[in-house]
Amino acid sequence: MDHRKRVIELSINDEPYVLAVEPQQTLLEVLRDSLSLTGTKEGCGTGECGSCTVLLDGKPVLSCLMLAVECVNLDITTIEGVGSIERMAPIQEALLEKGGVQCGFCTPGMVLATTAMLNRNPKPSEGEIKRSLEGHLCRCTGYNKVIEAVEATIEKISDTHE
Amino acid sequence: MHLPRFEYFQPSTVEDAIHLLEIQKSGARLAAGGTDLYPRMKYGLTRPESIISLRDIPVTPPTLSQDGILNLDAFMPIKEVVNSRVILDNAPLLSEAAGRVASEEIRYMATLGGNLCQESRCLYYNQGHNFQFIEPCFKRGGDLCYFVPKGKKCLAVYMSDTAPALMCLNAKVNILGSGGEKQIPIEDIYSGDAKHPLELGPTEILSQINIAKLTGSAGWAYKKFSLRGGVEFAGVGVATVLQMGDGKKVCEQAGITVGAIAASPLRASNAESLLKGKEITDSLLKEAAKAAAEEIKVVPHHGYSTPYLQEILRVQTHRALGTAYERVGVVSQK
Repeated sequence: MDHRKRVIELSINDEPYVLAVEPQQTLLEVLRDSLSLTGTKEGCGTGECGSCTVLLDGKPVLSCLMLAVECVNLDITTIEGVGSIERMAPIQEALLEKGGVQCGFCTPGMVLATTAMLNRNPKPSEGEIKRSLEGHLCRCTGYNKVIEAVEATIEKISDTHE
Repeated sequence: MHLPRFEYFQPSTVEDAIHLLEIQKSGARLAAGGTDLYPRMKYGLTRPESIISLRDIPVTPPTLSQDGILNLDAFMPIKEVVNSRVILDNAPLLSEAAGRVASEEIRYMATLGGNLCQESRCLYYNQGHNFQFIEPCFKRGGDLCYFVPKGKKCLAVYMSDTAPALMCLNAKVNILGSGGEKQIPIEDIYSGDAKHPLELGPTEILSQINIAKLTGSAGWAYKKFSLRGGVEFAGVGVATVLQMGDGKKVCEQAGITVGAIAASPLRASNAESLLKGKEITDSLLKEAAKAAAEEIKVVPHHGYSTPYLQEILRVQTHRALGTAYERVGVVSQK
C-alpha cells in the first residue's frame, strides 16, 4: 500500500458513486471538489465549527476530519439529500420562518445535526437541543432563532403525527 | 485545509496494527477517530509517513464481570460510552465526563482510548506555523516557550475529560504491545512531561479500560469549567467520588482528580485524606476544596492565569463534592 489512488464506492444520498481517491483526501474534499456537492461547507477545517457536518449511517460527523476511504459501506447523507427547493424539510421551513438563516454558511450543518437528533429522539428537551447543536458555530443569528426553529419543528412534527 | 500525504493502512485486528507499528517504526501514527491527530496534521505540527487507522477493528460492547469489574473496549466511540446503559449503571462518573467531551459530532467520531491518548495542547503550539520564521518552541523541538516568556520547560496542558474521571475511579488500562499484554493503573500512562505526555512505547496500543463498579452508597460528579460551555476544552475539569459507609454519613474513601491543569491529570491526595473517615458537612467539603486548590500546582493556559485557575479549581471542587454528596445512594436506587 502506498500513496496511490484507490478506487472506492460511496453511497451518497442513496446514489452510488465510484471514484478514485488518495488516502489523505477527506470526505469534505471529495464531496466538494470531486463530486461538486458544494452544499457541505468548509468552515475551520479542524473540527471546531460544525459547518461540514454530514450524516454517516444517520450519525452526524465532521466530514473535514473523515478520510473518504473510511466512508465505504456507509450511507452518507449530505444537505443535498435533505429536502429540495420545492419540498423543503420541516426544519428548513422552520429556519426560514423563524429567521434562523442569515448568511446560511452554518445552516447545512445545523440542518443535518437537527435531522439526526430528531430521528433519534423526536421530542428532545431544550437542553438536549443545545447539547446536540453545541458544535455548530453561527456568527449571524445568535443561536436563539435556530433553537426556536428546532422547537417549532418538533411541534410541527408531533402535530402531523397526532 | 488539506491533510499532508501519507501511506494508509487499515488493519482489522489489534495484532495486525501492532505488527504494522513494528514495521513502520516511528514514522507511523495510530488514528482512531482522528479528531486530535488530523487537525494537528493540517496545521503541519506533525507529519507522519503513515497512518494506521483503527477504524476497522471491531468494538466489543462493554461487559461487567462477575467480580464487579467493568471492561471497556478502548476503541469504543465516546458517544457509545455516553449512551451505554451498563456504564451509566456502574460507572456514571465516566458517562458524565464523556458527555462533556467536545461536541456531538466529535463524540460520534472520537474514541475513549483516543481521548486518553490525546496530545497536550497550548495556545501557541496548536495553530498553523507556516507563516512563522522564528525559533521553534519546546514542543516543536526548540528550546524556548513563547507562551510563558523565559519559561524553562514546555507548559502545554493535557485536556482529556475522561482521564480525570477514570483516574478518580481507579481505572486500570490494558496495554497491548509487541512484548505482550500488561495491565497498569491509568496514572502510569502519563509521563508528566508536556512535550510527550504519554508513556506508551512506539509499538504499544491502549486496548482496554477496566473499572471497579461503584457500589450503592457512592456519590460522584464531574464539573467542567469552560467559558462557552460547549465544544471547548476545559479550563479546569474536576472529578470526584465519595464512597460512604453504611449510614451514608461517614466518608470511607474519597477521590478527587483534576484535569486540564497540567501535563497529566492530578490527584488531590491531601484533600482526599481530609475527607476520609469523617462525617460529611458543607464546611468539611469547603475545607477539602481549599486543600485541593492549595496542593495542585496549576499551569496557566488558554488565557487563564494561575490565580484565576486556582480559585476556579477551589470553587469547582467544592461544587463537585457537593453534587457527589447529593447523589450518594442514587446508584442503588436504579
